[in-house]
Amino acid sequence: MKRFAAIVTLAALVLLAVFLLYPLALVLDASIRIDGTGGLTLGNYAAIVKSRYYLGSIGNSLLCAALATAFTCAIGIPLAFCLARIDIPGRALLLTLASLPLVLPSFVGAYALVLLFGHAGVVTSALRGIGIPIGSIYGLPGIVIVFTLTLYPYVVMPVLAGFQAVDASIEEAGRNLGGSRPYVIRTVLLPIVIPAILAGGLLVFIEALENFGVPAVLAEDRPFLAVDIFKLFAGESDANPAAAGALSVLLIACTALALLAQRHYLGKRRFSTNARSAPTKLPLTPGLRLVAAIVSWGIVIASLLPFAAVLMVSVLHFNGPVLTWELGLGNYATLLSGSYRPLLNTLTLASIAAVATMLIGAPIGYVVARHRSRLSGLLDFVGMMPFAVSGTILAIGLIIAFNSGALILTGGWLILVIAYVVRKLPFAIRSASAIVHQLDPSLEEASINLGVSPSKTFATLTVPLMASGLVGGLVLVWITAASELSATIVLYASGWVTTTVVMYHAIEGTGAGLAAAAAAVLILVTAIPLLLINRRISKHETTAI
Amino acid sequence: MTRIRIESLTRTFGTVRAVNDISLDIGHGELFTLLGPSGCGKTTLLRMIAGFVDVESGSISFDDRRIDALPAHRRDTGMVFQNYAIFPNHTVAENVAYGLKARKVLAAEIASRVDKALERVRLAGYGPRSPHQLSGGQLQRVAIARALVIEPAVLLFDEPLSNLDAQLRTEMRIEIRQLQRALGLTAIYVTHDQEEALAISDRIAVLRHGKIEQVDAPERIYRMPQTAFVAEFLGSTNMVPGIAGAFDGRNTPVAAAGTAFSVRGEVASPGAPVLLSVRPEALRLGDGSDGPLVQARLALREFLGPMQRLHATLPDGTRIRIAALGGQMIDVLPGAPLTLAYDPAQITAYPAP
Repeated sequence: MKRFAAIVTLAALVLLAVFLLYPLALVLDASIRIDGTGGLTLGNYAAIVKSRYYLGSIGNSLLCAALATAFTCAIGIPLAFCLARIDIPGRALLLTLASLPLVLPSFVGAYALVLLFGHAGVVTSALRGIGIPIGSIYGLPGIVIVFTLTLYPYVVMPVLAGFQAVDASIEEAGRNLGGSRPYVIRTVLLPIVIPAILAGGLLVFIEALENFGVPAVLAEDRPFLAVDIFKLFAGESDANPAAAGALSVLLIACTALALLAQRHYLGKRRFSTNARSAPTKLPLTPGLRLVAAIVSWGIVIASLLPFAAVLMVSVLHFNGPVLTWELGLGNYATLLSGSYRPLLNTLTLASIAAVATMLIGAPIGYVVARHRSRLSGLLDFVGMMPFAVSGTILAIGLIIAFNSGALILTGGWLILVIAYVVRKLPFAIRSASAIVHQLDPSLEEASINLGVSPSKTFATLTVPLMASGLVGGLVLVWITAASELSATIVLYASGWVTTTVVMYHAIEGTGAGLAAAAAAVLILVTAIPLLLINRRISKHETTAI
Repeated sequence: MTRIRIESLTRTFGTVRAVNDISLDIGHGELFTLLGPSGCGKTTLLRMIAGFVDVESGSISFDDRRIDALPAHRRDTGMVFQNYAIFPNHTVAENVAYGLKARKVLAAEIASRVDKALERVRLAGYGPRSPHQLSGGQLQRVAIARALVIEPAVLLFDEPLSNLDAQLRTEMRIEIRQLQRALGLTAIYVTHDQEEALAISDRIAVLRHGKIEQVDAPERIYRMPQTAFVAEFLGSTNMVPGIAGAFDGRNTPVAAAGTAFSVRGEVASPGAPVLLSVRPEALRLGDGSDGPLVQARLALREFLGPMQRLHATLPDGTRIRIAALGGQMIDVLPGAPLTLAYDPAQITAYPAP
């Protein structure tokens, strides 16, 4: 068993060193070089600190992420509480729908907001027609709205699990000692779920900070870190890879700081209560129950409406950029008339990436969960690092690393797959180790005791036991790889244009109908597999994303 | 000091009558145990008293106050939970202080009462610790301190010792009993462990299918079980079916297991089927003492230290157990005949079901 664990650990560390640490080191290196001559300098950082524009960019990104975190908590915690403790009609369906925004591409949500409330948006035009002007959704407000509506499940899922993990007797003990229900909720329940709230809030903060697609669609002229890094590296006119590197390092520093702060806080608080009996539903008056149901359903429906709007708009006819009310599949015809390649590319790349991610991630997750050692601890840490690195930065690092030298990957499909695998690896590791934690180690010991070798036990006993969970993970990786934009937009080459790239260019250009069709395709591609396997995905996997 | 009066209490879950028309009177300072197998309704009854299960019909009063309509947090009971239910987000001291804070006791008083309570459960100095640093037995003591410190009208124990190992269990039950006596609190104690119930209680109610089978002091409930169920549930008695004979003015002969037993009193009309409860310790290895005898054959001897258990077969093959002191010399080999003596007064007969 030791040998098996050691082999997996070493192989994984080598892989991560080559495709994660080395590229990141090159980004760091670029940030301290003088552009052109290659001499060492801190001038790139000095330039940022002196530049109003870049300071604004950092400020905007941080402010936006902070607001998104606050708002997602504000709607996510009550929603989680309602789902956990109130008998809401259609609770099971609501729970499924509430996890959907997580996998629907957020920049499609941003695009939906533009379609509805943008300069020429459906709602804007309609309201203007009857004389009611509405404010601009471009810039901060729109971005925060989209982040809130697409990222709140990150808060709901762990907090819901937190509420459900509190044994009924904990609350009963509080009540028995004389605390009223609100008092017990305030003094016991909420403090116990605070680690879950922090975990969810941190996911939102990092995700909002790194996200490229939403500000790319909605920022207009306001500077945002993720967008600026992309423009500085890949921009046609004002490319400045050194400045891109410096900004990247700053972005990684922000996310790493947030992660460390959370770790420090959680290190002192471990409230594991294992629920034997789940807490009962609160006895509410029909009126209060109705309010809870309306609020809960309202939040979830509001978050899904933009996507529904995109699906509807995609079958309407565009007259140039102007939407008409004629039904038709013309947008789809335009999307596919050029070539089927982008759609095919999306499906192929996502499939290869998903299988590869799970094949690599499952053994790592197993080793990390079962065989604690200094080396596997290191692997656990490095394996989680991609999480703190935005797709754009990883892609930039991969390009610097594999554009020349012994291994040239740029321009092909493999570099896209590598980027997807590295980015989704933390999720694969987390979901695999979560499954392993639930398997009784004595099962494997029994198998080994009966004479089956450790590696064979892993293959013939552990893997089948993990299988149903791994399938869920596989599908989620597939979905998120299919709708990946931030790394793809940096790495794609002419033969490997994906649907997300088509949509990005269509939004940038004038192809409103084309963008709507591409967006609709992306929604279907992500939502259908999720709904198909919904029953097989257990809670911890959605929490582990 | 509280007297608890429970009147025709009923609670149904679906079609199951978990608590079926139970009435009880529990006196001041009494430790009253609800004993029964799982599903007998003992925990439901306790939770109805605590206010976690609604009363369907009937009433519960502490002294002359009806409390069954009060919300759980206003009932002034101190409950010790099976899994301790220690708040993981609070320190030991904060856990113990919880009920006092909810009662708005002054901070200075809280500190001294918490210290005293922790001292009482032999956890002085553990206040600042986190619950996860404590062992199961220590957590149990915190749970007890937390329930005691509020000086509740009634203490409630929900199988408090079932998560502890055997030795700690016997130690803790002595501590619980001494604390309860010293503080003079009325307590209701739920358990499925008959030895624990016998050891700790002033009185025991044996429950079955939501109904009370018998309420009595431990000795009486053990020696004079009123139903076959109680006899069987308390101690591992031998149940032997038989047919009653004619009462001779003092004893009734019962034909059972290919032999005959004498039972004190007129237990049934002649020819009626009965069920005999023969306690293992009621049978002695026949040593020529007078009194009735039965013949058996030794099958197996288990030596258990302070005592030994003999497994024997009666003439028709019925298996019985006999308890003997560990020190007694028994030089009988398996397969050899045994003569057993007994006192007819120690055998109880029940109408056959």
